[in-house]
Amino acid sequence: MSKIEDVKSLVESGRTKLVAATVQEALDEGNTADNILHAMIDAMRVVGDKFSTGEIFVPEMLVSAKAMSKGVEVLKPHLAGEGTSSLGTCVIGTVQGDLHDIGKNLVAMMLESNGFTIIDLGIDVSPQKFVDSIKENKDVRLVALSGLLTTTMPTMKETVKMLKESGLNGFKVIVGGAPVTEELAAEIGADGFAPDAGSAAVMARKLVA
Amino acid sequence: MLTKKENLMETIKGGNPDRFVNQYEFMDIIMEVPIDPFCEPGKEMKTSWGVTFRWPEGQLGQFPVHDEEHKVLKDITEWKKYVKVPVIKTADEDWAAAVAHAKAIDRKEQFVTVFYNPGIFEMTHHLMGIDDALIAYSEEPEAMHELIDCLTEFELAFAKEIVNRVHPEAIFHHDDWGTQRSSFMSPAMFDEFILPAYEQIYGYYKDHGVELIVHHCDSYAANLVPSMIKMGIDIWQGVMTTNNTPELIKKYGKQITFMGDIDSGVVDFPGWNKEIIAREVERACRNCGKLYFIPCLTQGLNLSSFPGVYEAVSEAIDKINKEGLR
Repeated sequence: MSKIEDVKSLVESGRTKLVAATVQEALDEGNTADNILHAMIDAMRVVGDKFSTGEIFVPEMLVSAKAMSKGVEVLKPHLAGEGTSSLGTCVIGTVQGDLHDIGKNLVAMMLESNGFTIIDLGIDVSPQKFVDSIKENKDVRLVALSGLLTTTMPTMKETVKMLKESGLNGFKVIVGGAPVTEELAAEIGADGFAPDAGSAAVMARKLVA
Repeated sequence: MLTKKENLMETIKGGNPDRFVNQYEFMDIIMEVPIDPFCEPGKEMKTSWGVTFRWPEGQLGQFPVHDEEHKVLKDITEWKKYVKVPVIKTADEDWAAAVAHAKAIDRKEQFVTVFYNPGIFEMTHHLMGIDDALIAYSEEPEAMHELIDCLTEFELAFAKEIVNRVHPEAIFHHDDWGTQRSSFMSPAMFDEFILPAYEQIYGYYKDHGVELIVHHCDSYAANLVPSMIKMGIDIWQGVMTTNNTPELIKKYGKQITFMGDIDSGVVDFPGWNKEIIAREVERACRNCGKLYFIPCLTQGLNLSSFPGVYEAVSEAIDKINKEGLR
């Protein structure tokens, strides 16, 4: 098995303590940083699919994301300043009035692992803060809104409305969270919906393609 | 007509209940044992373990705070350095209110029930944040086993005080193990870490006069039901509709009873109304039947987030008990 295949396998299985050294070995073997990065992105896509189908659970996904992040640290000096981003910037946050963060964090990790640069605004984020963040950051191509409480669905709707009426463009809006359905997403004017972190990565790639 | 207690026993043993058990009616819940209190709305508090909770204005509950300043356990491999086990209160005055409450309960009608929170899994993520905790279960299993042993030892010592002083017939114990759609961890990981802790804790209660273990977990956890049975849970409270409750009753009803199937998120919101509640109660009762099932909000106590909802659900169940299903 080539070192690049080893890297892929280590990310998939979440071997956080081994991946950095193996990425270095893959570089030493003559693989380009870009190829190694894409092998890791492919691994995370597999992880996302397995999570969506219930084959793996949150801990396995978290350690895979952590493994990838350790590998990216080794690659960074070799990536000519491009970082991991090839899909643009994603602004993500839990909408105002809601303090839940695990779903949002998982989606952020999956999107980052799939090639987005992540601007994580955290929890309880006002509609205006999302708009400001698009203005303040370069190449924002995706805005991801999370909400777990039925009581914060009106705020999610208000946030989508403000984003769409902001006069800013070049980005799509994806929404998710326990009470969010595909129907609700369409009703409030979002461009995409995903029921879990693995599907969010698939939908995000589709939206910015 | 059976008493509330008799009707409950007929329900969970697959006998002849004469009506649906109505939500929490069979338990008189003692909240006064000296565990950490809940944070009050709009305030912040620190638990005896050093965990900071906030309940921001307008929110539906309290949240643990896990920024770098407030996170208690910053490195699982050094948990002994960070985790300070609190001293259990053993003065008579600390337990007086709970003891008095227990004495005032009509044991023929209701189970003398002690409330305990948080559970073992919740304690692990309260101490370090859920992302760190779930990674630690995967990456540092030895340290996690040690931490869980420590938490279990504390809970067993507390359980000893509870049984010696309050003599409860039931325990109502919280520990959420999943999200709406999935358990946080795989059944295999759950069986490695969480099951052994609860086999000890619930086993201790059962060995010391407790008849009923009622466990609250308002999430998807259908994949954990075999483990719940092994650890001695009699009633899983908080079962959400995403678990397919009728299917669970069919598969496991003789070993465990399911309490819930009326998702709080669907009926307990600012614009609630009695029509939605009647529809959801009717659906739950019709689909699940009287045996091995207790219609109830998935909320983890006999109350609701918005005034009137809990009572309206009880009224709707009463109506079905009097008039039958339509």
